[in-house]
Amino acid sequence: MEENNLQCNSVVDGNFEEVPRETVIKFKPPLYRQRYQFVKNLVEQHEPKKVADLGCGDTSLLRLLKVNPCIEFLVGVDINEDKLRWRGDTLAPLMGDYLKPRDLNLTITLYHGSVVERDSRLLGFDLITCIELIEHLDSGDLARFPEVVFGYLSPSMIVISTPNSEFNPLFPSVTLRDSDHKFEWTRMEFQTWALYVANRYDYSVEFTGVGEPPAGAENVGYCTQIGIFRKNGGKAMESCVSEQHDQHVYKAVFTTSYPSLQQERFFKLVLVNEVSQQVESLRVSHLPRQKKQDGEWDDTPKDSQASSPCFGPVFTEVEKAKIENSPKPFCVGDKFFVPLQRLLAYPKLNRLCANEETMRSGIADSIPLSSDGSAVVADLRDYSDEQF
Amino acid sequence: MTGRARTTARGRARRREQEEQEAPGVPRAPESAASAAEPAQWQWTPRPLREEGPVVRPRQPRGAEGTAQSRGVREPGLEAGLQTLSLQERRIGGVFQDLVVNTRRDMMHVKNSKTGSEGEVVRLIANHFRVISHHQRSAFKYNVDYKPDVEAGNLRQILLNQHIRKFGECHIFDGNSLLLPRPLRERKVEWVSTTEDKKIVKIVVEFSKELAPTSPDCLRFYNILFRKAFKELNLKQIGRHYYTEKIPLTLERRGTSLEIWRGYVTSILQYENGITLCADVNHKLLRIETVYDFISKIQAEAQRGNPQVEVANKLIGSIVLTKYNNRTYRVDGVDWNLNPRHTFNKSDGTKITYIDYYKQQHKEIITVMRQPLLVSQGRWKKGQTGPQRQPILLIPQLCYMTGLTDEIRKDYTSMKDLATETKLSPEKRHNSLKGLRKSIEEEKAQALLQPWNFKFDSNLLSLHGRVLRNANIFQGRRMVRANANGEWAREVREVPLLSPVPLHSWLLLYNNECFREAMILKDYLYHVTAPMGITMRPAHMIEVAGHADSYTNILRKYTRSALQMVICILPDDDKYRYDHIKKYLCTTFPIPSQCVVKKTIEKVQAKTIVTKIAQQMNCKMGGALWKVETNVQRTMFIGIDCFHDIVNRQKSIAGFVASTNAELTKWYSQCVIQATGEELVNELHTCLKAALDVWCENESSMPRSIIVYRDGVGDGQLQALLDQEAKQMSTYLKTISPNNFALAFIVVKKRINTRFFLKCGSRFENPRPGTVIDVELTRNEWYDFFVVSQHVKEGTVTPTHYNVIYDTIGLSPDTVQRLTYCLCHMYYNLPGTIRVPAPCHYAHKLAYLVGQSIHEKPNRSLSTLLFYL
Repeated sequence: MEENNLQCNSVVDGNFEEVPRETVIKFKPPLYRQRYQFVKNLVEQHEPKKVADLGCGDTSLLRLLKVNPCIEFLVGVDINEDKLRWRGDTLAPLMGDYLKPRDLNLTITLYHGSVVERDSRLLGFDLITCIELIEHLDSGDLARFPEVVFGYLSPSMIVISTPNSEFNPLFPSVTLRDSDHKFEWTRMEFQTWALYVANRYDYSVEFTGVGEPPAGAENVGYCTQIGIFRKNGGKAMESCVSEQHDQHVYKAVFTTSYPSLQQERFFKLVLVNEVSQQVESLRVSHLPRQKKQDGEWDDTPKDSQASSPCFGPVFTEVEKAKIENSPKPFCVGDKFFVPLQRLLAYPKLNRLCANEETMRSGIADSIPLSSDGSAVVADLRDYSDEQF
Repeated sequence: MTGRARTTARGRARRREQEEQEAPGVPRAPESAASAAEPAQWQWTPRPLREEGPVVRPRQPRGAEGTAQSRGVREPGLEAGLQTLSLQERRIGGVFQDLVVNTRRDMMHVKNSKTGSEGEVVRLIANHFRVISHHQRSAFKYNVDYKPDVEAGNLRQILLNQHIRKFGECHIFDGNSLLLPRPLRERKVEWVSTTEDKKIVKIVVEFSKELAPTSPDCLRFYNILFRKAFKELNLKQIGRHYYTEKIPLTLERRGTSLEIWRGYVTSILQYENGITLCADVNHKLLRIETVYDFISKIQAEAQRGNPQVEVANKLIGSIVLTKYNNRTYRVDGVDWNLNPRHTFNKSDGTKITYIDYYKQQHKEIITVMRQPLLVSQGRWKKGQTGPQRQPILLIPQLCYMTGLTDEIRKDYTSMKDLATETKLSPEKRHNSLKGLRKSIEEEKAQALLQPWNFKFDSNLLSLHGRVLRNANIFQGRRMVRANANGEWAREVREVPLLSPVPLHSWLLLYNNECFREAMILKDYLYHVTAPMGITMRPAHMIEVAGHADSYTNILRKYTRSALQMVICILPDDDKYRYDHIKKYLCTTFPIPSQCVVKKTIEKVQAKTIVTKIAQQMNCKMGGALWKVETNVQRTMFIGIDCFHDIVNRQKSIAGFVASTNAELTKWYSQCVIQATGEELVNELHTCLKAALDVWCENESSMPRSIIVYRDGVGDGQLQALLDQEAKQMSTYLKTISPNNFALAFIVVKKRINTRFFLKCGSRFENPRPGTVIDVELTRNEWYDFFVVSQHVKEGTVTPTHYNVIYDTIGLSPDTVQRLTYCLCHMYYNLPGTIRVPAPCHYAHKLAYLVGQSIHEKPNRSLSTLLFYL
């Protein structure tokens, strides 16, 4: 949480004394990256659907998290509206997100507001992160913080990180690490607070941290201390969410939704593309054989043999068997037919469609089908083949 | 090969577009690619201690927490005239540099009026909305300096905004300077801001100047403001650009599907009578095909030869998009010895495989292990020599192809579908713009525009144009005139050519697959040349093996004979073969040649095509098809155009084509090979000298006036053209005869966003060929005008903009407009009007052939022939 601070000029004069560079402890990767990585790992491990970052600042953490396929709602809250407004653009979907849509929908929203205010739109989350936030709260806000985040929002999991002041003596002439910090806690202070809060709101808490102390000073603990709070009794009940009164105090500054396979339009786009690619590949491999002997379709698909040995997909034995046992492509006159069942045998397409009917309805608008709808039809010979 | 003959796609513009799309600072190795998505190091330059106060050092340990820089994420380029939106706030200059160049001031003859009067007056509508009100008083510009320096534009804005109360919501910031409607109390103020990680940045805001509300600099700020307002409109945002909706067309061709989106491009500029908002519709292409898919397809199709060579041929030079960081790269090579299981060194020195790297960094799963890696040399910059930097390695499966596929480009139906959707009719375009106009009224956009008192006319700008008479064309003994569509093919059917060249000694090369086609071509040629007045002796017909060398090997045996023409029938349109033959016949063994692809002769309309081929051959040998009445004497017309191949990092080629007789039927052509990407031409005086020498061989007296049409220059080059090219020529002319020559230099621009619609009752149509516009949307500082010279069968016609930047001839507006339109009737590959004056298009054809196929100067003996048609 990085509030504006206009009077910090004086602090600079006081704090930026001659600091001999070589004595400064450097973390590799930088500490902020380690904190983000920590959250990222946690997300990968627990696969939350709805994640909010309180005090999201320049939204770096959100940008890191948005690539996680499990997340469907990503929210950032900060008190600095300008920053949110400016960073919003960088969260909008890019060209690539349209080229390869996600499996699940993703909505990203940035709210302008204070973490000690209640907003019902943040109810029912799986994970709320407060990275280097609490030390920026004054005593009044800090007192209200647990009540709002733990008591009201009550997500399944909360991650709170804050500086460990026991580490500070290792830094030259530092009292507080930041001019806006209202306090920095020892491990004991943080853990006492955390255990009290956990106990009060029925959470269990586990302590860890990032930023290993240097050799010889192991007793000071991590540079950043982290508490992971888990709600006892698991996930927030969806039903209690709906019972709550709508309370919208935050101002939505930016919102964007990502294309995904859950949206019919993108599902069809991807499916049609995959089907036509597969059909084309089968057609081409059928072609030279057809030219040579003008006979029946040979059993072995050509695509695996013809391409050079160092290229192409490798199917597992199960996949291979599945493909070979599926109905084969065939020709009638100059028309080339690929049964949908055959297409479904390919892993890439199987992942998209569970059954023939889904595939049929997905491609019917764009790709010609046989009269009974059981196969894709293509012209066997394409005029541009004549060039070869 | 009529298709090729009519091509107007310029290599340069298309490729440049793509190049510009590349994000700045393309990373060297994949690990730095990650920095695009993650917070980058806060950048500041250590400076010596000055009176400003203590040097700010990053504090530890939080010192490493930087505010992420947003390196602009950009879209991949579009090909074939589908342009991306080009509202880029950070690119200063360009057209704004040209706006301050007052070229009209020095031309006394157009001091009072540059408006012509010839022709029939018509009522037109332009795709501009007049700005009916805007901030009327001067605005105040302040330079904004950061200490220590801050590079990221976003961060600069954030830091500045911390003081928004001191300068108010109503402001425009372009990253370097701040525009305010009212002055600040002090001329110079210092503010202190803190970054995300509590670093102190001093912001020095110093008064720079007052800007008149219509000054180009002020307009530049208005464009930034409008772009900000655009963001608020209800459009779909992808990265930095805004699109309305997908248009209902998915092209599917041989396993690749494409989707097309529609968007807008806008600009606010000052014209003759005030400021207008120019708005046009444009399109974006979505191609869902990874490089891996693409390689698979080539592998499957490659039946003979080495598939790896085939892959390299088709892939090298293409622009690919990486999904994970939205960057574009040019493929410079394919490394088959590597695969995703290989490792590379991360910045911290540890080794990691590509698979693990992409999984950890970008959540991208590489499923295919048997794929090569792509090699890219990174972003290429003008003036940069040789690739010294570490190449970037990319995974085919994670890279997407951009642009149209060759299959689609060659496929008539697909291209036609594409054209129907993207080439909007005047009617549709008009409606679409109306829609945009409505959305500007949305509250969110108005919130930004209102403080500056911006109001737009709700109707499109209406203005007058004049339709000039089509030129008189003389062919054989007939005088004809183009019809309303600017065509006269029907009128001259079966009419003998103006000056036919007898075809006495010619070769016809074909390979064994093409024997039948060779016979058909020969027969048709006999048949069609007779009415044209061309006498023809039988050809030497020679069968060749078909590969590139087989054609040139045969030709070696004929080097001593007086051959007039070589016709090669090619089994397909393989570029290597074509280039090889053309190169040989333009340099080593200079003879006009005609290549015909077998398929062309197989078409139903083959006979019509052969007629065109015969005419083309006649021109290549020095004949002329028709002439146009220009009513000027002793005037040489020159066309100059450039070809840039930045993608393949080839040398740039400037084409120079000059008329060398009074009838404009003989032309002198030369090309200048220049540094890659160089737009200005250096050796113009030598070209001019050679052209004048040839003129003297054809005519009894030297020309008195020289009119240059200069095409192929980008925005922002006006002053440079004046200082370099126009000056080179005028200086040279003075050295040969101080008082005898007069020179006019006209800049031709085809890529403009302005469109005109002809109002017919309640419908909108394209203006007719010959429509001239020299009011309202021209500029007060320029002697400029628009001409719609071509007819289009579909879509909206693009007018061509002409800007007379230098004129000692004293051309009246009527004369220069009429001459310009006349010259559009002179392109021998088409019995109709074209988009630019013929010499420009000849220069384009020459530069294109040399740049694409020959790569060196053609033999001098060809310079008096239109061998490149």
